[in-house]
Amino acid sequence: MQIYLPIAELPVSILTILAMGVAVGFLSGMFGIGGGFLMTPLLIFLGIPPAVAVGTQTTQVVASSVTGALAHFARKSIDFKMGGVLLLGGIAGSVSGIYIFKLLASVGQIDLAISVIYVLFLSVIGAMMMVESVQAIRAARGGGSAPKRKHHSWIHGLPFKVRFRRSKLYISVIPPILVGYFVGTLSAIMGVGGGFIMIPAMIYLLRMPTNVVIGTSFFQIVFVAALTGVMHSLENQAVDIVLGFLLVIGSVIGAQYGVRAAEKMPAEQLRALLAAILLLIGMRLGYDLVSTPPDLYSVIEAEPHS
Amino acid sequence: MMRRCVTAFIALLFFAAPARADQLVTDLSEHQIAIRSNFTGTEILLFGAVEAARPGSRALNRDIVVVVQGPARPLTVRRKEQMAAIWVNHDSVTYPSVPGYYAIASTRPLEVTATPETLKALRIGIENIDPGIPSARAIDGTLQILPPDEERAFWKALIRNKRREGLYINVPGGVTFLGQTLFRATVKIPANVPVGLYTAKVFLLQEGEVVDTISSPLYIDKRGAERFLYRMAHQDPLLYGMIAVLVAAFAGWLASAVMSRR
Repeated sequence: MQIYLPIAELPVSILTILAMGVAVGFLSGMFGIGGGFLMTPLLIFLGIPPAVAVGTQTTQVVASSVTGALAHFARKSIDFKMGGVLLLGGIAGSVSGIYIFKLLASVGQIDLAISVIYVLFLSVIGAMMMVESVQAIRAARGGGSAPKRKHHSWIHGLPFKVRFRRSKLYISVIPPILVGYFVGTLSAIMGVGGGFIMIPAMIYLLRMPTNVVIGTSFFQIVFVAALTGVMHSLENQAVDIVLGFLLVIGSVIGAQYGVRAAEKMPAEQLRALLAAILLLIGMRLGYDLVSTPPDLYSVIEAEPHS
Repeated sequence: MMRRCVTAFIALLFFAAPARADQLVTDLSEHQIAIRSNFTGTEILLFGAVEAARPGSRALNRDIVVVVQGPARPLTVRRKEQMAAIWVNHDSVTYPSVPGYYAIASTRPLEVTATPETLKALRIGIENIDPGIPSARAIDGTLQILPPDEERAFWKALIRNKRREGLYINVPGGVTFLGQTLFRATVKIPANVPVGLYTAKVFLLQEGEVVDTISSPLYIDKRGAERFLYRMAHQDPLLYGMIAVLVAAFAGWLASAVMSRR
């Protein structure tokens, strides 16, 4: 069954979109991520214009992160104070990201920028997670303890220190604001919630305890993604409500099963699996960057003002 | 003065009468195509008749060419080049008015219908589309002048791209005569057509010369929910964006409410 999308201006198969929503929702529930970094390339692959894919994707991120945040709220595993500080940076980052998106689109390098950022982050974060989880799995098997994280770094020398009780941290607000800003910018450019960048940043950079990381990340992604969605429809008219609705339905169903599947797997193996997925997608996109494209020429609508 | 006028008028009548050539009568099966949520492309039927100046005379080398053209918009063609192993959009050429859709059907292949010069003058054929004066830019956005053969490569790439999307169509033999005077042509409208005002032009050619042309409008537009959403997204983008986000947030809440009930 086909449905015509009013903003993307092409018909798509309802079942295909729902199935994509379920698959991405499953992974997002399983790993506690928004799944945007999986969905955007899939949508572009289906022929949805990149701007519409990125803009619409934000609605799916909102839905899945609301579900995630509510689940963590019930378990009291959200650090609202830290989330709020991250959010401050995230809002500023999201706004500037939208303008960077527009600028890159007008000079014709947005696709390249999205691909390069994806490749960089997916491979770096994927590799880091893979190494860490393999070490953890080995340590668990060997009976030894996991390598201890060092506790003092340059971060502790910064001013404006605030106590985050839930995270058991006493650090400057500058690093979380910068992390929030950075992830907000990327999420606006890439149409992702940014959980796959935010979570490692919280663990490795801010040294937050793992049990509050996912909930706090979900909490602040809800607002950053909501803002990004509104901004995308305001600035680019690039949010397709019909497409978004189909994706959301699929992903909320998929997420439920993903959460259950995750409960049956040990955390380290789960992380290794996610790392493998990140690395695979990164390699795939990296290959596309360097392999000769089938047609060197591409056609796009010219900017009205140029 | 008066006398001269009358003489001129009579002369005009005298010379005009034998010059009256065959005429076209055409119509489209639809003048409006509504894009609704179930739109997956359609076909329009163009039909017509040739009213011969001298009935009963057998017409030889008579050709019908049908051109359906969509609204024109500026388009940019970009060419990738390899820089440090990565393929980067490099040079670009912008054409100010490129039709979003161009379908051509004819009784015989265009090459045998008329001379290339005639076709070019009448803008018949995909290669003869007039996209306006192109402007070429380098990677940093500065204007540059490309050699003609390079510029042609950009234009060819645009046509190739549009053909691949099914938006530029060439159907030699797509117009069929039913008997001596009646003819019909079906034109495919793919699902990804741009909306707007289209024109369907019919050319009647005799021995490679245009004898008559007729053009009729065709309006393609979104209807119903599609139109409502599209207009809202463009006229009230803030409200539209907020609704989109709230609906998504509600769906997320609903999912967790349903889950915790179990």
